[in-house]
Amino acid sequence: MVKEFNILITGVGGQGVILMSELLGRAAVTDKLRVRGSEILGMAVRGGSVTSAIRIGEEVYGPLIPTGKCNTLVGMEPSEALRNIACLSKSSLVIINTAVTTPFTVFIGESNYPSPEEILEKLGKASGRIVQLDAAKTAQDAGSRLAINIVMLGALFGTGQLPIKIDTIKETIRERFPAKLAPVNIRAFDLGYETCRQAVK
Amino acid sequence: MKELTISSDAPGQRLFVLGNEAIARGAIEAGVQVAAAYPGTPSSEITETLAAVAKELDMYVEWSTNEKVAFEVALAASICGVRALASMKHVGVNVAHDPLMTASYIGAKGGLVLLSADDPWAWSSQNEQDNRYIAEQGYIPVLEPSSVQEAKDMMADAFKLSEQFRQLFMLRSVTRIGHARSDITLGEISRERRKGQFIKDRTRLVYTPREARINKPLMLERFEKIKKAVNTLPYNQLKLADGAKLGIIACGLSYSYTLEAVKWLEIEDRVSILKIGTPHPLPEELVIKLLKSVKEVLVAEELDPFVELHVKAIAGEHNIPVKIHGKDLLPRIGELSARKVTEAVARLTKTKTPVDFASIDKLEQETAPLLPWRPPALCPGCPHRASHYAIRVASRRVARDLGKEVEAIYPGDIGCYALGYNPPQEASDTIICMGGSFGIANGLARVVDAPIVAHLGDSTFFHSGIPPLVNAVYNKANITMMILDNSATAMTGFQPHPGTGYTAMGDETVLLKPEDIARACGVKFVEVVDPFNLKEAAETIEKAIRFEGPAVVVSRRLCAIIDQRERKKRKEETIPYRVDQDKCNRKCNACIELLGCPAIIKEGTKTVIDSSLCTGCGICAQVCPYKAIVPE
Repeated sequence: MVKEFNILITGVGGQGVILMSELLGRAAVTDKLRVRGSEILGMAVRGGSVTSAIRIGEEVYGPLIPTGKCNTLVGMEPSEALRNIACLSKSSLVIINTAVTTPFTVFIGESNYPSPEEILEKLGKASGRIVQLDAAKTAQDAGSRLAINIVMLGALFGTGQLPIKIDTIKETIRERFPAKLAPVNIRAFDLGYETCRQAVK
Repeated sequence: MKELTISSDAPGQRLFVLGNEAIARGAIEAGVQVAAAYPGTPSSEITETLAAVAKELDMYVEWSTNEKVAFEVALAASICGVRALASMKHVGVNVAHDPLMTASYIGAKGGLVLLSADDPWAWSSQNEQDNRYIAEQGYIPVLEPSSVQEAKDMMADAFKLSEQFRQLFMLRSVTRIGHARSDITLGEISRERRKGQFIKDRTRLVYTPREARINKPLMLERFEKIKKAVNTLPYNQLKLADGAKLGIIACGLSYSYTLEAVKWLEIEDRVSILKIGTPHPLPEELVIKLLKSVKEVLVAEELDPFVELHVKAIAGEHNIPVKIHGKDLLPRIGELSARKVTEAVARLTKTKTPVDFASIDKLEQETAPLLPWRPPALCPGCPHRASHYAIRVASRRVARDLGKEVEAIYPGDIGCYALGYNPPQEASDTIICMGGSFGIANGLARVVDAPIVAHLGDSTFFHSGIPPLVNAVYNKANITMMILDNSATAMTGFQPHPGTGYTAMGDETVLLKPEDIARACGVKFVEVVDPFNLKEAAETIEKAIRFEGPAVVVSRRLCAIIDQRERKKRKEETIPYRVDQDKCNRKCNACIELLGCPAIIKEGTKTVIDSSLCTGCGICAQVCPYKAIVPE
């Protein structure tokens, strides 16, 4: 029985954060797991910060991940991972897509973007382990620049910690995409999966 | 096997859904026949879900022009014995407030439910008002779910309760219910379909002072019955722990945070918990039982101390010596969380918190200055960006002629174009409520000497822009009213409205044009411009501002997202723009600083256009002083 497994997916509007959490939730239900989660839509979808929580287990009640209780933080964008540092503890695993999406406030000098070292240093202090991958490049290798979220989903499963079966999530991906796009997405999933599995070995 | 969907009659099956889909499912299970709404986050998906299955399930679903009309549509159905739902965001209830306060005098014949989607932390709203107070004012009983499953169950039950007690019910959702996701267990779908019957009944339906005086006591009687009944509703549950000194009264979603908090603190057997599913009226007998059994009580609820004040009143009336906490330990602002409840309970039980929150906070505070500011921005190719630019150019020209000190004022409104209040557009000087731009402009015209250029969207215009427009004509206000017409209620998910030519259920209908309405209302200056022609748009707006008296300019261009979708369907290619690096003066940055388009980015000192984001609107090419931006 799974008591509590918390996943926080963070990114920027348009990266597919919500789709990724939908896939996770559906797959969890197929595997007869209890799922809770929540997300912020509305103002945040237009290129703003987006977060979505997926919580699996029998002892989960609320829609939000309590402070410090995140098992896996999926950062589709490095600074957005950093923005959610408060959900982490020493037993958390962080997976980051290293491809940066710079907000235009940086171009006009209204704010600064942290260096990769700064991001890793802070996240390293807060979490147990960090896996980095260039999901944008991996998605391109798989055949679709849009598949960043599926690469990250693969990486999430590559940690080997998820209570959802790999066959189930792959089946969910196949069901969700039109037949024409499914193979590219499965490839993206597999590449993400392998990259993460090698990294956590 | 047929795929399980929101309309499947498959009791006992589990489905992973968005909270608002679950709420819609509850209404479907209850056999709702009429559903009316105006879109607003976090409520829109309820009506979208219902609209998508309306024909299949023989329901009538509409997007109404505003929440007042939506509520009146539902009320009329209820008067005729048909089950009806009106859904809206919390501030939408303000718009429906007028009929609402008399609807509770009428009572319900067909089950009548008002869904109020409150928004603690104002994630996508202009305020975080607590609509339980509105319900209290109208003697409207409130159901408040603690989970997505319960939201569905309550919605299904609300119609039955409404008929049983002949009273309108409110279901109060919040963002973390409507936009939560969860697996739910489906219930049975009622296939009962009633034929509406209007029975003339002056005493119950015609409100002159006489009827108000006759019906108020009847309403109070109905409310008294509900007050007794809530003690045995399954949504209110009292769990007393042996010898507990602390009791927690947890309302709605706070109950889920409370369960996590006591588990986290490992004190489940040491506290008594009263779960509240009906904050109004409270289950008084259960409250008294809890108050008498403990020394201290913590009331956990989001936003205002609504339950807390009522509990204090009950304790006072019954002389129960118990210390009641609530907003002294928990915030009035924003959402609650497992952590906030945990900290409050830890303080009261003198238990150590399970996590060193202080060190996490410290790290978070150290991190904050490193983070880039990422405001939501208008989409690449959004016509509002062009409209805002043209408005600014035109207003500056006029203001310049009026004197050095004069600055144009831009009353703004609710919708996607509100995102233009951020730099670089800074297009709104006020944003208050739906239609507020035109209303505020009317008032400004009386007290300041400056060009006043108000703007709102097409859906907002139909919602509540017409009365202030008429007001400007009638009272001769010298203002410019812009309607940024992108043929969509874009911010909430592209719902159709009177200007789109089709209905919620997908039927074709009359297409109303704001310019026709403006002319019919007596506006003497009415022009339509294409914002993607910046020069012409700015010139026309300038004329409008210089026009003596109210002027209307409709700036019309299809929403970029819909446009992209339609182009894809037509297999029409999008030709993006690129920066000719030989011509670009790298230090100028005008394109970025004037437009803030997400497709224009800096790579080192080079300005480039992300061809995957660019929709080819060509606005940047028009503002570039070096003619360095060209189609690919």
